[in-house]
Amino acid sequence: MEKIMSKDIRAVIDQCPEVGRLLEEYGIGCAPCSVGSCLVSDVVGIHGLDPQTEATLMYKMEKALYPDRDVPEPKVDLSKIVPKEINYSPAVKNLVDEHVLIKRMLALIPTIADFVENSETVDKDLILSCVDFIRGYADKFHHMKEEDIFFKYVDEQSEIIKIMYEDHDTGRNHVRNVVEGAENGNKAQIKEHLHGYRDLLTQHIKKEDEILYPWIERQMTDNQIGELFQRCSAADDSVGEELPRRYEKFIIDLEEKFAKEN
Amino acid sequence: MSDCCPGSKTMDFNEDDAQGEDETGARQSQLKQWPIQLHLVSPQAPYFQEKDVLLAADCVPFALADFHKDHLKGKSLAIGCPKLDSDQEIYVDKIASLIDDSKINTLTVMIMQVPCCMGLSQIAKSGADKATRKIPLKQIVVGVEGGQVLSEEWL
Repeated sequence: MEKIMSKDIRAVIDQCPEVGRLLEEYGIGCAPCSVGSCLVSDVVGIHGLDPQTEATLMYKMEKALYPDRDVPEPKVDLSKIVPKEINYSPAVKNLVDEHVLIKRMLALIPTIADFVENSETVDKDLILSCVDFIRGYADKFHHMKEEDIFFKYVDEQSEIIKIMYEDHDTGRNHVRNVVEGAENGNKAQIKEHLHGYRDLLTQHIKKEDEILYPWIERQMTDNQIGELFQRCSAADDSVGEELPRRYEKFIIDLEEKFAKEN
Repeated sequence: MSDCCPGSKTMDFNEDDAQGEDETGARQSQLKQWPIQLHLVSPQAPYFQEKDVLLAADCVPFALADFHKDHLKGKSLAIGCPKLDSDQEIYVDKIASLIDDSKINTLTVMIMQVPCCMGLSQIAKSGADKATRKIPLKQIVVGVEGGQVLSEEWL
């Protein structure tokens, strides 16, 4: 089993699809992940399962991989396990709260895409104002705090952090394509990459809120938590209170615009 | 005192003797300052400057066998009892001064699970609200019987 623990999860699932199904059963969504380069040991450890649940999962995975092996079954009543509410420190809670505004933008994307499709010509100002939100708020204001501050508290070479960086880059690529589509009046390109951005960020935010952020915080000392708070506060102060307020108003206005049109 | 109040209710844990009775050797104290009682400390003392501060209810160190190693290590300390101490508005001002004047990094409040001990968390929150600077504030609740940490959360 130790050999398996140091393998890429994708290779293990390819070898034994039942492992992917088991991970799904325990709320670890590796099977649909397109990258799958996380080590099995990291995949299990990063989700912060309670010891009994982790032992049971490992038992089931070992049985799936080696059906003939005699493995003692850990005794655990899964029905009695209550999921713990995540308690973020203040700085990380702010990052999670920023996700809420980004998710409101993501929720509008299907409507915006339909609007683009059904309009005679591409409303370039609308698309570019959405791009400004994505670049100014989601990327510059939010992702930069992650990349420049928060992620620095763990090994940036760990697979999970590399995947987060890849997601950020993929998101930026979608945005570049949306801009190009708007410049050229290419409706199909705008729609494809708006939806691509939405799908990517929806999964990305879920991973961060539920797995990555708690995992990083579990490794941080109180001293680092205090330092993180001061550094994020300083980053917020450097852009001022007006920027997040302006982008919140942009989302409210956009929601109202499309509520009226529907 | 009445047995109705969980804070002063008489309880005897003598029968539970499976609690690490075989320990040998001396442990090093993690206390790096004096005084520690919140009425006695100056919030501007050098040992508070930019530090992570632990505000513990008086009973907490007696309940937790590994208090020094697990909770006091690396932190500056203040202690108080929200049930018995007088002039608690001074405590609120001192917490605010720790945050604003000594620019402490974090404040962790450790209380017992008894309801009256929540008062110490309230004092910490009031002090943090009164301060201009903002810092992370954590609450740790310790069980009366068995000395376990029952919960640990950022407020």
